[in-house]
Amino acid sequence: MMIYNYIACILLIVLGLYTVCTQKNLLKTIIGLGITDYGINLLIVSSGFNDGGSVPIYQMSDLLNGVSSQFFVDPVPQALTLTSIVIGACVNAMALAIVVMIKKKYGSINVDDVRRLKG
Amino acid sequence: MIQHFPVLAVMSLFLGAFLVEIFGTKREAVRNAITFVTFTLVLILLYALIKPVILEGRVISYWMGNWEPVAGYAIGIGYEVDALGLVFAIIAITAFWLSNLYSFGYMKGEHHLGHFYTLFMMLCGSIIGFCMTGDLFNMYIMVEIMTFSAVALTGFNTDKDGALEAALKYLVICSVGSGFILTGIALIYLQCHTLNIAQLATMLAGRLTPTTLMSFGLIVAGFGVKSFMVPFHTPLADAHAVAPSPISMVLSGVVTKAGVYGMIRCIYILFRAMDLTQMQILITTFGTVTMFLGVSMALKQHDFKRLLAFHSISQVGYILLAVGLGTTLGLTGGIFHAANHMLFKGLLFLAAGAVLHQTGGITDLDRLGGLSKKMPHTTICFLVGAAAISGIPPFNGFASKWLIYQAAYTKAIESGNFYYLIVTIAALTVSVMTLASFVKITQAVFFGQLSEANKDVTEAPKVMLVPMYIISALCLITGVGYKFFASYFVLPAVNSAVNVTNYIDVMMGDGYAAAAGVSNMAADNVMISSWSPVVYLILFVTVLAAACIVILASSGDRGRVVEVTDKDALKHSNFFSGEEPVYSHVSGSDMLWGYKHNFKAYYNIMDKIHTGRMTDYCSMVVIAAAVIIVFMFMFMR
Amino acid sequence: MIILQYLFYILIFPGALFTIAAGLLLAGIDRKVIAHMQKRIGPPVAQPVYDFFKLLGKETIIPATANRAAYLIAPVVSFVSLCIVMLFIPILGFRAIGGAADMIVILYLITIPGAALIVGGAASGSPFAGIGISREMVTMMAYELPLVIILLTVAKKVGGDMLIFDLGIVSAYQAQAGSLITEWSMIPAAVAMLLVIPAEIGTQPFDVAEAENEICEGPLVEYSGSPLALFKLSINMKMIIMTGLFTALFFGGIRTGFVITDLIVFVLISTAVMLVCITTTHAITARLKIEHLFKFYWTVVAGLALVSAVLVWIGL
Repeated sequence: MMIYNYIACILLIVLGLYTVCTQKNLLKTIIGLGITDYGINLLIVSSGFNDGGSVPIYQMSDLLNGVSSQFFVDPVPQALTLTSIVIGACVNAMALAIVVMIKKKYGSINVDDVRRLKG
Repeated sequence: MIQHFPVLAVMSLFLGAFLVEIFGTKREAVRNAITFVTFTLVLILLYALIKPVILEGRVISYWMGNWEPVAGYAIGIGYEVDALGLVFAIIAITAFWLSNLYSFGYMKGEHHLGHFYTLFMMLCGSIIGFCMTGDLFNMYIMVEIMTFSAVALTGFNTDKDGALEAALKYLVICSVGSGFILTGIALIYLQCHTLNIAQLATMLAGRLTPTTLMSFGLIVAGFGVKSFMVPFHTPLADAHAVAPSPISMVLSGVVTKAGVYGMIRCIYILFRAMDLTQMQILITTFGTVTMFLGVSMALKQHDFKRLLAFHSISQVGYILLAVGLGTTLGLTGGIFHAANHMLFKGLLFLAAGAVLHQTGGITDLDRLGGLSKKMPHTTICFLVGAAAISGIPPFNGFASKWLIYQAAYTKAIESGNFYYLIVTIAALTVSVMTLASFVKITQAVFFGQLSEANKDVTEAPKVMLVPMYIISALCLITGVGYKFFASYFVLPAVNSAVNVTNYIDVMMGDGYAAAAGVSNMAADNVMISSWSPVVYLILFVTVLAAACIVILASSGDRGRVVEVTDKDALKHSNFFSGEEPVYSHVSGSDMLWGYKHNFKAYYNIMDKIHTGRMTDYCSMVVIAAAVIIVFMFMFMR
Repeated sequence: MIILQYLFYILIFPGALFTIAAGLLLAGIDRKVIAHMQKRIGPPVAQPVYDFFKLLGKETIIPATANRAAYLIAPVVSFVSLCIVMLFIPILGFRAIGGAADMIVILYLITIPGAALIVGGAASGSPFAGIGISREMVTMMAYELPLVIILLTVAKKVGGDMLIFDLGIVSAYQAQAGSLITEWSMIPAAVAMLLVIPAEIGTQPFDVAEAENEICEGPLVEYSGSPLALFKLSINMKMIIMTGLFTALFFGGIRTGFVITDLIVFVLISTAVMLVCITTTHAITARLKIEHLFKFYWTVVAGLALVSAVLVWIGL
């Protein structure tokens, strides 16, 4: 049943990129970045999932003695996802901070007004 | 002992960042001492690695927490230093050390300098970690730290017009790029269930399934965003124009090179796809377009630092073109040009920063002029940098560009493909266009007439001049002794990029590569043919001395050089068709009219593309990534 | 001994002295022939020599706006780099320093005099010079594209499937297989090269950078005395170098067996080339505008060169 996960995460990524590319409001752009991040996180965490797998606590000897890796849920993607979530949160925080300052300076958070650097 | 050096280098930079934040926010002396000591320490640590890694060809591996691979599967996070990574790390630390020295003078008197140096050291640490890590996810994390610090440093001077805007564009577009990289890594993990580059190299090469092909496309696009190739170049131009000059130097010299390094690492080592003809055409096309668009946009700019930013894009195009040829000679030229670009572009940005610092923040080319009389040392350094970037012998830009031309032309006649001849012609023509835009700056900023507003400008302080002179000397040394540098510094890196068995074996245990059926790429002979700058330099110096004697001898009483006095002021004023001379400076916008007139239609299109709207730029990024992926699925399966 | 030999090469032949003498001779012939074409008697052939010594004797005035160092060093750099270029161009069978530089290096070396002229003009601080260097730079950009294509075409023709940029090998190939001008696929490239030469030297109709009656000699407007003499000399030296490069690229197959006779034939061919591409065009044309010049070179001349490149590429 993992196919739903993959469809969902592709939908999220595409939706996020669509938001970034089309929405004129800077806040919505940042929300779009967030949605992309969620999609990627879902993709990573899905990659380690095994239907019916156990908790990944085992001895190295178990693994070498022919117990299949289907036996447990892969722990690495979960660690990766945690890291990725933290990074995503940082990106959002920083982007929001910049947007707040842009609002103060430019008086607007519409991309059409925030374009002094061009050409 | 030596195997701890890479980790120590990265860790001491992050530790230094924390120390600065804790102890250095108030007192300037403490802050400068911590940063200087840390950067010098890391410089020594990395230079100590040159002998074993680059000269002896060893590969140094380090497993975090000693989690060594079990049963042929990498478990822990590994650091692995081969010559390719070390060359880029050395480029980075050299640039950062010089930039740090310069920023002591340049940033003096700014607020929140503690934060500045914290971010600065994190940027350096992340790039060095990026070059040395042997783990794909670690690479992504380092890229993210790099993007963060670079964004924060770009917008550091929040009062400056456009700084926030540039920082936001940089952040959003680079986050999209990081998203591509992370998705690519996740797809690779889905397929292979490991993240170690050495292990992946045995699994991915030559077995491009749809999943790995998709991830390959995403990773190429992601590192393309990080190296700011066209059409991902838009945030870089904005960022350079507003960032403090030491940051501009490392952004252009090092951060773009990190993207190029990631691309080399992925294409040459991870996927080893460089012998595919389509891959070569893809990367060289991007390189050529980047090269031409960068320089043509630079020619129409009228902001000093923005012009230099477009030149960074153009030079990255040269590097990508050379790397994309897929030959040993091309890779040599590319990596050598990367090192040289760090030097001369750093020099140019530092000179631009000196002008900016001394004139009180003017970077508009139409408002400067005649500064060579007030800032002679800056002018000399700038002219050296301009000569180097335009490829005038005997400076270093010529040596590496010349290798690139040879590589491109060799490729053209070997493959019999007319396309590569066009590429060679484009590369040679872009070089003279580079010269043209530097003529424009030279006239508009340093020569010509001094405006009333800049009457009281003084020479930059010594702490800013010293790094500039160091880089000027390095430009000349690497240009004259280019054979030495190419054979002892660049070639080992090239060899480590094309011969991956050693890289895999050191990481995963002896015989791993052979067991997985990995063999070295056939390395063709590197041909460095006839150009002996030493002979040329001796000739040049001899004749120069002779000619100078002639000039001096002729300044007797007949052809004597008369100093300006009040009495004959009119005699020494400019010729003005018999009128009384007035202030009339030919500034940046007045230059190169005949060229701009002929390219009017092209520039109209370019103006429509560079709108400054973030949504447009993001669309360009997404569309280009889609094009790369579609290209790969169509032609590389 | 090697040093003495090198010094001989640099200072006497084929370096400074020969280049100066041949350049002045060509300039004198050029002026005389143009005068005859225009039904004038014209100056004696030695007139460029007299001009040179006259200028050496004049006072050097440095404008108040000028950067003194750059203003004085620029002409020296221009002169020195031209002395060196001649060492790398084979004079039919004779070559001073073999294997020290190739066509790409020469391409870059001959941009140095242009760059020096630009720096010198900019350093004088005059607005006329500012306009002049802008035009000079556009001219350089204009002729660089066809020149690049011509050199790569010659390299392909000579080298086949090998990377040959070395002019010595180009010369040796022609001695064996006949001069490149006899190959009909190379004719468009030769014509393009003939059109590149006047722009490189800056004679009518491509003298927009130094247009005397428009912007008062552009970059040279403030120069006087010995620096001006050096710049004028550089322009004359460029004549022999560019026509010599043409001779080496397209007439390189002629061999007489002796250095002296080789040299005489080389100068004769160069003079003939000069009479065609510099003197005649000078006499029969008027000055172009800068935008027309740029367009002309990037369309017509580059197109001619590209035709040759395609023909050579498909093996003709």
